[in-house]
Amino acid sequence: MTRYIIRRVLLTIPVLFGVLVLVFFLNRVLPGSQCRALLGERATDAQCAAYDHSHGLDQPIPVQFGTYVANVAQGDFGVSVKTSQPVTTLLIERLPVTVELSIVALLFAVIVGVTLGIISAYKRNSAIDVITMTGANVGVSIPIFVLGLLLAFVFAILLKGTPIALPPSGRLTPGLTVIPLSDAWGLQGLTGPPRVVLDFLSNMYTFNSLVTGKWNILADALRHLILPAVTLGTIPVAIIARITRSSLLDVLGLDYIRTARAKGLSERSVVRFHGVPNALLPVVTIVGIQLGSLLGGAILTETIYNLSGVGRAVTEAIMARDYSVVEGFVLVIAVGYLLVNLLVDLSYAFLDPRIRLS
Amino acid sequence: MSRTHRWSPLAVIGVLGIVFSACTNAASPTPSSSTASVAPPSAAASASAEAFTGKSYPDTAVDCKNRPKGYTGEFSQIKAVDRLTVEFDLCTADVAFLAKLAFATNGIQESAYLDAHSKDKSIVRNPNGTGPYMFKEWVSGDHITLTANPNYWGDAKPIAQTLIFKWADTAEKRLQDLQAGPASADGIDNVAPDDYDTVKADSSLQLINRDAFTILYLGFNVDDPPWNNEKVRQAIAMGIDRAAIDTKFDPAGSEVADYFTPCSVPGGCVGDKWYSYDKTAAIQGLKDAGFDFTKTYDLYFRPKVRGYFPNPPGTAQEIQAQFQGLGIKLTIHTEDNAKYLDNSAVGKYSLFLLGWGGDYPDMTDFVDYHFGQGANKAFGTKFPDITALLAQGASELDATKRLDIYKQANNLIRQHVPMVPLTHAASAAAYQADVTGALASPLGNDVFWIDKPGDRQQLIFEQNAETSGLYCSDESDGDSLRNCEQIFDPLYTYKPGATDVIPNLATKCDANTAGTVWTCTLRDGVKFHDGASLNANDVVATFAASWDTKNPNHVGNGGSFEYFPGLWGGFLNPS
Repeated sequence: MTRYIIRRVLLTIPVLFGVLVLVFFLNRVLPGSQCRALLGERATDAQCAAYDHSHGLDQPIPVQFGTYVANVAQGDFGVSVKTSQPVTTLLIERLPVTVELSIVALLFAVIVGVTLGIISAYKRNSAIDVITMTGANVGVSIPIFVLGLLLAFVFAILLKGTPIALPPSGRLTPGLTVIPLSDAWGLQGLTGPPRVVLDFLSNMYTFNSLVTGKWNILADALRHLILPAVTLGTIPVAIIARITRSSLLDVLGLDYIRTARAKGLSERSVVRFHGVPNALLPVVTIVGIQLGSLLGGAILTETIYNLSGVGRAVTEAIMARDYSVVEGFVLVIAVGYLLVNLLVDLSYAFLDPRIRLS
Repeated sequence: MSRTHRWSPLAVIGVLGIVFSACTNAASPTPSSSTASVAPPSAAASASAEAFTGKSYPDTAVDCKNRPKGYTGEFSQIKAVDRLTVEFDLCTADVAFLAKLAFATNGIQESAYLDAHSKDKSIVRNPNGTGPYMFKEWVSGDHITLTANPNYWGDAKPIAQTLIFKWADTAEKRLQDLQAGPASADGIDNVAPDDYDTVKADSSLQLINRDAFTILYLGFNVDDPPWNNEKVRQAIAMGIDRAAIDTKFDPAGSEVADYFTPCSVPGGCVGDKWYSYDKTAAIQGLKDAGFDFTKTYDLYFRPKVRGYFPNPPGTAQEIQAQFQGLGIKLTIHTEDNAKYLDNSAVGKYSLFLLGWGGDYPDMTDFVDYHFGQGANKAFGTKFPDITALLAQGASELDATKRLDIYKQANNLIRQHVPMVPLTHAASAAAYQADVTGALASPLGNDVFWIDKPGDRQQLIFEQNAETSGLYCSDESDGDSLRNCEQIFDPLYTYKPGATDVIPNLATKCDANTAGTVWTCTLRDGVKFHDGASLNANDVVATFAASWDTKNPNHVGNGGSFEYFPGLWGGFLNPS
């Protein structure tokens, strides 16, 4: 197993380098200059020439690439030309937003999707099955931007003033702020990777407020997460429900299930103890794929709900030709994908002893 | 040299000692090495317990008659004459000096803070000004929080104790947040024209119109056939129904553009009005000019909503339809924002739609950038008769003569038709109905310290985009500059909600008779947010940082200090 993990980790290196090359050169072939994108109508040719020179953009592209790779190898992703912040700082600020949203959306999708799938399989061909699967079809078909705007309109505007009204944007009600964990725990002097991890966790507002006991912040952060998580999680709910149903139906038709029934077990016990655990393997695969795509694909949800996550950061950076940000973020998203895939593969071994043995 | 200076023999020797050092070598404002730069202390300064040493930048004034290579700017030297007096020595008279001085990029920085925080760029996200609001926090991608400055120098103090800036890039999202209630947003910028009625119909909201201070135009590259024929361009000028564009796409308060510059700018609307719409005459004019109706021509635009361009695709299609009515076939092309600006600036588009949002209320802001000597190549070869007049107009001190110059210039623009002015589009902000005092500035530099957000202590304003940075001299987008307006004070400012220029950190700025020396008296007792007192050296340091590319503080967000050369002619030590 250890050898397998090491081999998989080593295999990520050429993949990541390929991503790096691709993103770097795609960035450079995009039409339009960084200078004009940043400075707008007023930029003069002379200003742009000076800008390109000061930012090394007048160097040959291979030279720029060499410099960039050398910097990345030392952990330096560069600095955003739009905000003057190091890309690593931006990652620490933006990635937690998307990770938090993705986790909540995935929890919603798994809990609701698996439950619906099991019920649907259990009550196969009943009215509940038809309604559930029709709902799943609608869920997988409705575009995120339609669902998001619709939910925001209903819960923020139509239900304004009622107890179930929900905020249409942002992560916290303006005026509320979270305290960095380094301050809360008196670790201001902490530096290096531990500080990065601490700052990363600080920016996951639900986690931060949970561990610091700021219940009002936690409640507010969760209220702000409900609509985006439901919006982002609806398509995965539908997919997971359908996969769970079909997988469980397959399993329920196998010989050992018939044996379990013949032994006199109740149908509920058969499904719960013999059917569901064995039907989860394809569901895990799908969950893994969904988590990967959620990490990099929450752009629409983040835009609709004005969340400052990875998706928005990348799209804004592309528009501004903020090369370092695009490259750094895409690389981290790729790492996320690879990591999730690795975890999914490893989880097979734990879920299915046959794979472990082979 | 200032006429207010007294020259001692020692001072002359001192100046002679440094006269051979290149004036462009100066790196940062240094204490003057001679009394030439240190004026006798004023009464106010005498009263101060602090000893004050005035600084000059550069140490030796730029010789305007023998300028350093590449220097096109109008400053010769900026001097702290005494603690509360600053002198701007110019190479040429600048009639718009005060209007430019009031622009947000000229907010005054504290010199010591500038020195300490510009090199590592920490100043970009930790500003220190004298304005009504102090910076508190910036949650990247989410919001900026400012708090009321308890020591604000103004007679009135900020009403809302907290000011929060949020952003959303679509008008629909901003409106949705406003409709969700004051916990989400008290005010929003740039309501979509289609949503004006929605806001008006909602009793919990109010719409505040922003006067038109923009221009949308249909540009020609006058070097490219068939638009290189002036008769053709004149015919097109007659054949475009500008009123139809205004009616169909512009929000209330917008105007058909009869001149390139809005009429609220002195000199903007002198001379002959633009050609009246006459389709028959236009077609005849095209025929007389030998126009080739068999070809298909290209029209370019960028699908990016701007204040001057509320409906890019609709307007482009309308232009296409109107050309079709003249018998001319157009193919519409769109380009990404950055590429579009790149290409239009170098004259790659023969026929294109573009516009401008005014920065300060003077003709130079509109016409010089587009038709002056320093204009880019969007319209192709410049017209020498226009550029000569604009150069005169920029430095003509006599208001009557200046108006006459711009009358001639406007007429020449009308004659040469490098573009067809289409509309002056207005825009609007919207607020919760219980917010009082809110104004929408035509210049976009809304101030919020006069707004009362009902019975709430905080005001939340949602703008179009995230602030780029708060080292304001180096910023150029309207959203950043709006934030800057709350934190920093220029020497002069614009009257809230209007374009009048009024004293601010300076109680007055007077010009000599030639208009080449401006002496500004600073308000006494003003403190920066960190507690430091404002003095004339802060003004010198602020301008020096933007002016000189070799100044160690000439390091900002992008570092291009884009507005400075536009306002003041050019950088010292241009690269």
